[in-house]
Amino acid sequence: MPLLLARIDDRFIHGQVTVGWCRKLEPDHIVLCNDEIAADPWQRRVYASSVPPRIRVWVRDRAGAAALLGGGAEALPADEGVVLLTGGPGDMLDLARRGVPLPAVNVGGMHIGGGKRELLESVYVDRGDVANLRALLAAGSRLTAQTVPGTRVVEIDRALLDALEEAR
Amino acid sequence: MLCGLVVTHGGIGKELVRVVELVLGPVPGLAAMTNSGKSVQDLIDEIRAWTAANCGAPGDGLLLFIDDFGGSCANAAQIAAVGGAPARVLTGINLAMLLDFVTWRDTLGLDELPRRLVEKGRDAITALGPVQEG
Repeated sequence: MPLLLARIDDRFIHGQVTVGWCRKLEPDHIVLCNDEIAADPWQRRVYASSVPPRIRVWVRDRAGAAALLGGGAEALPADEGVVLLTGGPGDMLDLARRGVPLPAVNVGGMHIGGGKRELLESVYVDRGDVANLRALLAAGSRLTAQTVPGTRVVEIDRALLDALEEAR
Repeated sequence: MLCGLVVTHGGIGKELVRVVELVLGPVPGLAAMTNSGKSVQDLIDEIRAWTAANCGAPGDGLLLFIDDFGGSCANAAQIAAVGGAPARVLTGINLAMLLDFVTWRDTLGLDELPRRLVEKGRDAITALGPVQEG
């Protein structure tokens, strides 16, 4: 179950993922981790139908996603590549705490919302997001922002998060 | 009335609606929305708010026009289409399709109109041959 990409993106499955990343990484599976979407059959169907047919989509809540990505009986086959998507850093941190190895996390898209501030272009955060990103760093994940392969990679490190909070 | 909401990447939808209104004059119940800077949930909320404000009378219906299948616009539209006014989602919008929507929306219902629009939209996609002389 090589994890080819772990990505935070509040659009989940969309062009940057299907056209950008999947064309480059050629995953066998996309695991979309989100409790609300997993609980809604129609939303599950919408996301499952928006990928190239070769790729299998698994929409799961946190526990279900961790089971697919862990080492247990429900884990996806060892020789098949996986792209993991969460809508925010909180779900990604939860998966890390459930034992999913996440050496690198791509911060793809966190869009403008109430009370959020611009960390980078296409990455807007509130205090909770910053705390979760810090916790991911502390847990050993390297965080980078990159929209699609071949574009600029920006390191999200403690210094960048400190600078944002100092500017508050 | 059947309302139309064009949901696209960037400014595509806004320009399509502007051009339709250049041709036909102001069109009530037709608007455009962009996904720029928005999460899927933002876009779902915005579509639902517009629909409630503009398409909430008994007998109203909604056509959601999307530029491309499989993106955040199409995903948001399909999710937002459930639970409000009766709605259909069409992808691959072009100018012919949108002009035909305005022309036929008072005549055809929510089930017949999408079929016609898909046909007209496809008809408008064509490779023009060399100009014949004489």
